Amino acid sequence: MILQARNLGWRVGRTQIVGGVDLAVHEGETLGLVGPNGSGKSTLLRLLSGILKPTAGEVAVEGQQLGALPRRLAAQKIAYLEQQADTGEAITVRDAVELGRTPWLTPLQPWSHEDDRIVAEVLADADLHGFEKRYWATLSGGEKQRVHLARALAQRPRILLLDEPTNHLDVRHQLSILKLVAALPVTSIVALHDLNQALTCDRVGVMAGGRLVALGAPEEVLDVERIAEVFGVRASIVVDPADGARIFRLDHIR
Amino acid sequence: MTIAAAGQHSMARLWWRWPAGIVVLAATVFAGTCIGETAIPLSVVVQTLANKVLGAAYPLDPIDMGIVWNYRLPRALVAASCGAGLALSGLVLQSLLRNALADPYLLGISAGASTGAVTVTIAGIGGGAVSMSLGAFAGALTAFLLVALLARAAGGGVSARGTGQIILAGIAGSQLFNALTSFIITKSANAEQARGIMFWLLGNLSGVRWPDVTLAVPVAAIGLIACVWYARALDAFAFGAESAASLGIPVRTVQTVLIGLTALVTAVMVSIVGSIGFVGLVIPHAARFVVGVRHGRLVPATALTGAAFLIAADVLSRTMIPGQVLPIGVITALVGAPAFALILLRGRRRP
Repeated sequence: MILQARNLGWRVGRTQIVGGVDLAVHEGETLGLVGPNGSGKSTLLRLLSGILKPTAGEVAVEGQQLGALPRRLAAQKIAYLEQQADTGEAITVRDAVELGRTPWLTPLQPWSHEDDRIVAEVLADADLHGFEKRYWATLSGGEKQRVHLARALAQRPRILLLDEPTNHLDVRHQLSILKLVAALPVTSIVALHDLNQALTCDRVGVMAGGRLVALGAPEEVLDVERIAEVFGVRASIVVDPADGARIFRLDHIR
Repeated sequence: MTIAAAGQHSMARLWWRWPAGIVVLAATVFAGTCIGETAIPLSVVVQTLANKVLGAAYPLDPIDMGIVWNYRLPRALVAASCGAGLALSGLVLQSLLRNALADPYLLGISAGASTGAVTVTIAGIGGGAVSMSLGAFAGALTAFLLVALLARAAGGGVSARGTGQIILAGIAGSQLFNALTSFIITKSANAEQARGIMFWLLGNLSGVRWPDVTLAVPVAAIGLIACVWYARALDAFAFGAESAASLGIPVRTVQTVLIGLTALVTAVMVSIVGSIGFVGLVIPHAARFVVGVRHGRLVPATALTGAAFLIAADVLSRTMIPGQVLPIGVITALVGAPAFALILLRGRRRP
């Protein structure tokens, strides 16, 4: 178990946002998290990243208590890509991606050739070649999202926590980024809205009302009844005759 | 040029800049020592410095020597420390709070210092045993602690909302202490005292002597070293405190250490020279236009620009109107505001 959560919960005042989540993530797998708006996906990811201190339960990374781990060491293991992080600073794409090396640098251990190599590599991975000198304010939403992803990859983490990484992306980049994440030798937990994208994950967790209501192989977890119950939509499964892949067709429940 | 080469190049250039910066700083301090209301030949200045520093024995007029050594040099050194300290404080607050309008006086420090100063000089608290500087320092720290407590109690901290609470608490604190200052002045001060306080509030380097140098220089140096040490942490705040935390920055520790140091540096500077506006707000922005937003470059550039700017402002304040010393705060704003407007207009071309 590379990442384990026991009875994890977070509340603000009397409002329970996330509660009673038990989760064990295997090394190398890609775990999709689906659920309607406000079901606690983002909060769960922030708890797993250690940025948010749980009000109940605990998270363990490679057997170590995440809460007891210094931030720097935690960031060497876990990268977290938040939704909609923006800046007013006139920073370039390269500056933003270089920030990903922060957990590996100290004032006495400055920037090295190795860091340059990693930054060049993740810029290529995120299809950002030629964007290095562009200013943040000149980027489109999808380009910003790819810069954030490159920054998270530059942390060279063991675990990648991605909060709706395909937001704002065009179809081609949605597919290429999900493919990249799946191909990386890291463990990833990805919050997704697109159920068809969730089908490509190794396992899928379904969040509803702050709880993890189902966890397992995509085809077991994402059945028609559960989709109707959790999302309030009618799903029908269509099979692509070309390769036998299953696709959801979704419709309002009338 | 490959990406790797570009990165390496900028690092190499960075190290080269430190000695260059020190040379520029020394030249500015020297210029501040040479220029003044009394014309003293360059050779006399150099010989004075040689006499005092290297133990040479040039025969000189003791009055000229006194002006250079006891009056102008300490003044230039304190102006440099003060400019660097205030500019760095502004930079730290702008970066940590992600607010372009943050400046060191935002934390209520300047307002608290003036209340402390008037409490000592006008209301007579301390019975003459406490100097105005000490009173100002105590006032500054009191105000900052109150603001920090209020911000904390209001939920200030890591979140985006938290940084807003510090700013709001600072505004409340500043208003309170400014009102207290006005209250004490209107209640107890005569016209002469009110004028004296007014002059002090706008900043004044006339009373600066060597003991002030031994306080201001180390404090500014500590501030600079801390900012250089935390340069990468400050970079990491570009996308907010949560993003910084996910990059491995111990956000609370960095905020506590840097904001605490900012308060200390500002309180010390204000207690020595009064509250000089504009430097902490504008110098970091000016430096950003020139060297960009990465703190590895921005921190030294801000410190150097602040130091040079305040020395120049002090020289102007002494020489602009013959026979009269203007408050330095008037100069910083009169010269600084149009200069900054030019930078703003020029910066528009950049995306």
